[in-house]
Amino acid sequence: MQEELDPLRLVLRDMRLDLLERENVVATGIGYKVRGGERTGTLSIVCSVVEKVAGARLAGNALIPPQVGGIPTDVVETGVIRALQARTDRWRPAPGGVSIGHKDITAGTLGCLVKDDAGTYILSNNHVLANSNAGSPGDAILQPGPIDGGKNPADRIAELARFVTIAFPEPAPPSDCPIGNGVASVANLFARAVGSTTRLQAVRPLAAENQVDAALARPVNIADVRNDILEIGTITGVKQGELGMAVRKSGRTSGLTSGEIQQVDVTVDVDYGSGRTARFTDQLLAGAMSQGGDSGSAVLDTSSNLVGLLFAGSDASTIFNRIENVFSALQVHL
Amino acid sequence: MAAKGNPAGRAGGLAAIREVKARHEDRLLSLPGVVSVGIGTAAGGDMEIVVGLDRHRPGTESEVPVELEGFRVRVEVIGRQRAL
Repeated sequence: MQEELDPLRLVLRDMRLDLLERENVVATGIGYKVRGGERTGTLSIVCSVVEKVAGARLAGNALIPPQVGGIPTDVVETGVIRALQARTDRWRPAPGGVSIGHKDITAGTLGCLVKDDAGTYILSNNHVLANSNAGSPGDAILQPGPIDGGKNPADRIAELARFVTIAFPEPAPPSDCPIGNGVASVANLFARAVGSTTRLQAVRPLAAENQVDAALARPVNIADVRNDILEIGTITGVKQGELGMAVRKSGRTSGLTSGEIQQVDVTVDVDYGSGRTARFTDQLLAGAMSQGGDSGSAVLDTSSNLVGLLFAGSDASTIFNRIENVFSALQVHL
Repeated sequence: MAAKGNPAGRAGGLAAIREVKARHEDRLLSLPGVVSVGIGTAAGGDMEIVVGLDRHRPGTESEVPVELEGFRVRVEVIGRQRAL
């Protein structure tokens, strides 16, 4: 094989600059010539072009000669070659770490794949896959997400399967009767349980608490998703997050980043926009390792054990749900 | 045997500090600008209660106690936390 390639290498070395100078040519190499869609047994010098154009329409210099230095040439259309496929591009199959989103949102991150007895799902946040409680099962999930150009139905990779409702505090106008608070809260809980629409007004917002911002989407075609995470690889298992643990994530916006669990047992108020704030308990907190659009990223330890589900943060911090709480709330496993 | 940097040096590990945090966190979270209450590690390795602030707030900072039931309390500006 080596000797067979040598004469082509010699010609390519001499001709490559001349070929690459031609308009439209983005790469040169050695490969079997393709004719009528079939690979032939003939080795050729392959010129990759942005776009194939009929010879008659090309200026003399742009035309690739049928042979160079006695070696046949072939022209293949590859488009513009980029260093890496961007996380905001369309990926099929799509791995963890790329853009995804409910049809009515901007975009978040595809976390990873999880399972239950009924099948395989994409795991991400409620606010990524279920539009912060506004979505309904069956809604289109696009990859890439809408802000990255994802269109419905062309880029529909999955359907919303189920989500954990985020509890926002009951809106309550100020009142001058502080004693009624506890009673009203308990009564509200009861009213909610029986589905009553006439709730008592609480003095303070009812301190509704959450543990996870999580949702599942069912892939339309299982061949369209990949069981690995971009730049991390395969998930090896599940591990409980602990103080001081080194972690990393692979997200749509800031890519592969790493940090350390600085706080556990965190109770935190998270801003969901439009004046809505939700309280979360039992969260893990790391330093700055995320930006808008990274929501839904899987958080892993250095041995690729799944530790958390990223959903919030600031310029100084990153907040993630414990993966064991996510799995238990959604009744799924790896 | 109080360790330097942790005047109380209270033992008992995570379970003990969790209990203390649980007793006080509602009150801490109701102070202006407090966005989080968690458990972290101090420079000396002891666990401490960490109160997260949206920005510097001298008023709130002076209201957060230096320690609670033997555990040190640290205030840290972490900014307003947003869904990403």
